[in-house]
Amino acid sequence: MCLNGIVKGEAQTNLQVQSSIVEQLRREASIKRTPVSEAVEDIKQFILQHEQEDYLLIGFSSQKNNPFREKSSCDIL
Amino acid sequence: MSEGGLKVEQPMESVEALSREAEGLKVKLEEERQKLNDVPLTTVAARLENLPPLNIKPRRVLKGHQGKVLCSDWCNDKRHLVSSSQDGKMIIWDAFTTNKEHAVTMPTTWVMACAYAPTGNMVACGGLDNKVTVYPLSFDEDVTQKKKAVGTHTSYMSCCTFPYSDQQILTGSGDSTCALWDVESGLMLQSFHGHQGDVMALDLAPSENGNTFVSGGCDKMALIWDMRTGQCVQSFEGHESDINSVKFYPSGDAIATGSDDATCRLFDLRADREIAVYTKESIIFGVNAVDFSVSGRLLFAGYNDYTVNVWDALKCQRLTILYGHENRVSCLKMSPDGTAISTGSWDFTLRIWA
Repeated sequence: MCLNGIVKGEAQTNLQVQSSIVEQLRREASIKRTPVSEAVEDIKQFILQHEQEDYLLIGFSSQKNNPFREKSSCDIL
Repeated sequence: MSEGGLKVEQPMESVEALSREAEGLKVKLEEERQKLNDVPLTTVAARLENLPPLNIKPRRVLKGHQGKVLCSDWCNDKRHLVSSSQDGKMIIWDAFTTNKEHAVTMPTTWVMACAYAPTGNMVACGGLDNKVTVYPLSFDEDVTQKKKAVGTHTSYMSCCTFPYSDQQILTGSGDSTCALWDVESGLMLQSFHGHQGDVMALDLAPSENGNTFVSGGCDKMALIWDMRTGQCVQSFEGHESDINSVKFYPSGDAIATGSDDATCRLFDLRADREIAVYTKESIIFGVNAVDFSVSGRLLFAGYNDYTVNVWDALKCQRLTILYGHENRVSCLKMSPDGTAISTGSWDFTLRIWA
């Protein structure tokens, strides 16, 4: 009886593991997907909309606006 | 055929049936993902003009750590930075002036993760001690006095972040799980099981996208999680080695990953597949950290060859290389307003580039 219990226990764990794997795959298989072309177009649009705020990309019109500009020393005129 | 009780009586048969179903589903998933791969990213990007040269230079060097810098995080005030190091110290810097405002000594070395709370009033860190500890910041008393251990994993903590408030903290661990903790009570609110290896990195989705986050690990997988249910909602494979860094694209529709396989990749969440690989034959060293610029056009990646490569995320071309560090770049983060990038290295320093 003990042995039966152990065998059943192991099989139960295996079953649980397999069940959760299958459940996970079922969840993933059922999600709605969009074509790559559409997804990429959206990414491109996001970039175009936010380009002007992206200072690492477009730089600063004057280094005075860069909060991390080199600390300048004062010149005595 | 098998339901509830019946399953238990004939366990071996059901396990086999489930196994077959799992294999079938995997094949179906692959087919579905392939079907939608209609146009490669580079084709769409080819129509865009090339970017003008970037003007990103090293602006500050933060010296003070006596060991490898392992992690850093910006404060929302866009000027303070917290960094943690192998020397067991956590330092809070004013990045504008390079002054060290606080230095906290941890009881263990290899403080692998640190994070600033959204209000800027608190920082969290942890590593080989398996714990995440929060430190309320104060100029009046020793910061170590008020420290509070919030959560404990069964292996090292590799990454942590505050999801949107000071009240909760999200951690990733070498024990292959992620966990969400309540800071006040120390209770584990949710745990996230699914990785088959150490979790090395995590990132929160931009707040408009609700309660999800991405994690990457030594099992070469990037997983997207629902914070409320604890369920993995999407999984991405493709890397050929450990994923060291994951980052959400600013729109929340994609994730970038950096790996020991010397590539960075972009995975789109709605297409549910990899859509770009950032690689060159000449790049053979692993990537430790990735981050995007504000628009998402630039992808910054820190490598084991001491450099930071700046990639055009759409054209998949390398735009420039940032030189300066004298050892591996271990961490990299864009400032909250996108004006600068901070990098941390095994050369004991942090650098700010803008």
